[in-house]
Amino acid sequence: MRLVLVGFGNLGRGLSRALIQKASFLRRSHGLIPRVVAAVDEFGAAVDEKGLNLTRLLRVAGKAGTVAAYKGGKRGKFALQVIEGVEADVVYELTPTNIKTGEPGLTHIKRAMRAGKHVITSNKGPLVVAFRELDSLARRCGVEFRYSASVGGAVPLVGLAKELLAGNEIREIRGVLNGTTNYILTRMSREGAPFEVVLREAQELGLAEKDPTLDIEGIDTASKITILANSLLGMNARLKDVKVAGITRVRPEAIRLAQEAGQTIKLIGIAKRGSLEVGPKLVPLGHPLAVGGTLNAVTFELDLAREISITGFGAGPRETSSSLLGDLIDIHRTLGG
Amino acid sequence: MLVKIVMELEDVPGQLLKALEPISRLGGNIQSIMHQRERKTPLGRIPVMLVFEVGDRARLNRILAALRARGVRITQLGEREGAARTTALLIGPHTDIRDTIDRLDALRGVRVSDLSLAMGGLGQESAARMTITTDDEKRASLAVSNLQRIAARKKLLLITSLEAG
Ligand SMILES: NC(=O)c1ccc[n+]([C@@H]2O[C@H](COP(=O)([O-])OP(=O)(O)OC[C@H]3O[C@@H](n4cnc5c(N)ncnc54)[C@H](OP(=O)(O)O)[C@@H]3O)[C@@H](O)[C@H]2O)c1
Repeated sequence: MRLVLVGFGNLGRGLSRALIQKASFLRRSHGLIPRVVAAVDEFGAAVDEKGLNLTRLLRVAGKAGTVAAYKGGKRGKFALQVIEGVEADVVYELTPTNIKTGEPGLTHIKRAMRAGKHVITSNKGPLVVAFRELDSLARRCGVEFRYSASVGGAVPLVGLAKELLAGNEIREIRGVLNGTTNYILTRMSREGAPFEVVLREAQELGLAEKDPTLDIEGIDTASKITILANSLLGMNARLKDVKVAGITRVRPEAIRLAQEAGQTIKLIGIAKRGSLEVGPKLVPLGHPLAVGGTLNAVTFELDLAREISITGFGAGPRETSSSLLGDLIDIHRTLGG
Repeated sequence: MLVKIVMELEDVPGQLLKALEPISRLGGNIQSIMHQRERKTPLGRIPVMLVFEVGDRARLNRILAALRARGVRITQLGEREGAARTTALLIGPHTDIRDTIDRLDALRGVRVSDLSLAMGGLGQESAARMTITTDDEKRASLAVSNLQRIAARKKLLLITSLEAG
């Protein structure tokens, strides 16, 4: 399968490393031979229809800061040209998230679909802004569309719900969907350290963005709840439909009060038909959603199975490549490979 | 949970105290005591109806054992059907926490049964934890939605239990 990588940051590189490491496994176990025929970032593109050498690409892009440094690479804005012009089967859309406009990912995905290419993305922006539109465009264009990595990172929420739990009606989805805030809450609860101190530390560790607003105000979680509502509950939800409260007012003293009553405080997103909500909640210690550190955890409430909970790493290039690769194998199988 | 028992006490001074002591000592929270003098038994004992709240079944069993060990005759034992408890945290300036509690207590079948405060440092918000005990689940969600309205008006951050729906 010929792949185009649009975006060569943490995830583009993480996926490339996984493709190198798993090449023989993919061939042996799945009969899948992936070939990256192009990689694009903000500053340029590298194209080779016979397949880029990923080890070399990682090395030169790591040094020069752009894939344009690859042999024969070009500097400039080439994303659309590559998406439409290079012969390929699958486009990976891995550019930064913009939850207001969805761009540049939204245009990348639409153009890829119209050009008859399957799309795999980790980018929440286009899914938050235009889920229904993209879902039906994929169908009209006869292409596959996968977005497992966009919510839950490595935790296979979409696949679990859509495939393995397909016999159930999903009544409610609730979960810890933001690793940064969960890290902050966990540190505050274990050490009683003040919010500002823990936040600064999370930024130094690279767990929180320089501008942490989207995380700590609950907006990142709300984006993910919107995506889950649309993709798994069949809703037509927008970000503004989610009632959001963040964790900026949660102090260690509040967590201590919760702990004295056998509870802890978690930032929880809740999606059920007719009500989408994000906010800090009291969760009993030992509850499946009372996970520590940067972990994510989600509980599905179902008519037959009643409750299924799942926990795992919600971010990280290596962890998330599990979902990105899983989507590729899933498309390969869907197409009869 | 809320427990109702009827016990028979001899009609001599000090009997009631003897019965109440182990209940509070073992973590029971007594809510009401009613002497049923009109139902005095042929042996001259007086039935006393007692309602108390207790954390869990194990504690209740310990209390019952202690009562029996003191020779208290328990003639009726009932868990008040569906008594529900929910915990909530409120974050903000708590200058009028009493008012919040009064508003909840004013609802029928709703009672704030526990309150803990953690004062924030200078210029910081405080946190209050309250346990709300209600006669049934329906009143619990009514109490929570009332609390939501109060919190919105007073600009408090309300953190309810995940299970509170
Ligand atoms: N990191 C995670 O663990 C994780 C997990 C789940 C989902 N996600 C989501 O996945 C996406 C990628 O994450 P990331 O961590 O890999 O981000 P990142 O490190 O910031 O990488 C983004 C990449 O996109 C490129 N890019 C930006 N604008 C572009 C454009 N107009 N055309 C082509 N390429 C463009 C950037 O190029 P330059 O470097 O040249 O600017 C960079 O290579 C984001 O939407 C993120 O929210 C990330």
